[in-house]
Amino acid sequence: MTDERRWLDRLCEGATRALARRTSRRSFLTRLGTALAGTAALPLLPVARAATDEHPAVPDDAALHGEVGDPKSCNYWRHCAIDGFLCACCGGSENTCPPGTEMSPLTWIGTCRNPGDGKDYIISYNDCCGQSLCMRCRCTRTEGERPVYLTMKNNDLLWCFGTQSRAVNCSVAVVLGVATRT
Amino acid sequence: MLAPGVAAAEGTSGPALDYAVTCQGCHRADGTGTPGTVPALAGSVGKFLRVPGGREFLVRVPGVAQAPLDDAALAAVLNWMLERFGRDDVPKGVVPYAAAEVGRLRRRPLTDVEGARRQLLEAIERAR
Repeated sequence: MTDERRWLDRLCEGATRALARRTSRRSFLTRLGTALAGTAALPLLPVARAATDEHPAVPDDAALHGEVGDPKSCNYWRHCAIDGFLCACCGGSENTCPPGTEMSPLTWIGTCRNPGDGKDYIISYNDCCGQSLCMRCRCTRTEGERPVYLTMKNNDLLWCFGTQSRAVNCSVAVVLGVATRT
Repeated sequence: MLAPGVAAAEGTSGPALDYAVTCQGCHRADGTGTPGTVPALAGSVGKFLRVPGGREFLVRVPGVAQAPLDDAALAAVLNWMLERFGRDDVPKGVVPYAAAEVGRLRRRPLTDVEGARRQLLEAIERAR
């Protein structure tokens, strides 16, 4: 015990003396002050803090075979019938809402063919609600869309139903399953 | 990451696929709907067959009558929904919907959907 303390004492003493030889107290205070001020100021910088608070789930692409394309692209296969701003460009992903928004439980659903494996997937286009329009990556595709009088098959409508806010921010394209013909 | 409650890799087909693509967006995969916005099917749809006019109502409501499905596919979805969401509520001996019946009923749209629904729900309540 005593030996151990001596050993620790010697180490600390050596380190302190070495530090004192190399630096002045003033320079230490300067650096300490900079570090403190910098740490305090860091959260004020316009970094995407939301990204660390609530990191979007890893896209489910790994579950699909032959996944191709860029979820931030309007041409991405899942977006075959999307109408809105792509959440992948708005702080979310192709299947998660940006932090601070709520996914609408009501949605419109279609199928898209994945060129990677040639299969048709059931896709749910949910709006993310609670913030104003994202205004990035606008994408309007109409494959399988029906006129507005068939409301459940029309994607021009705002689909923020059953959410706290009716303000739509962006849209996701969630894979629900594989569609097969009988 | 596949959404919960939905068949994944094996594939969805037939009435289950038609339900997913045509109805599920609002009524949800588990048929629970959204209170105040979309009526629940689960624990509710089967009860309509217990009262006069209920069987017709289920075909004539706008979402069903106007569904982009032919009569045979629509009849199959209705029967699938009754099995899936109303198994405990459907009276014994009920005949499944047939394409011809569905075709006839869907061409007689309801003019007062809310009123018709309210009357049926009251009748269901009285019949308990």
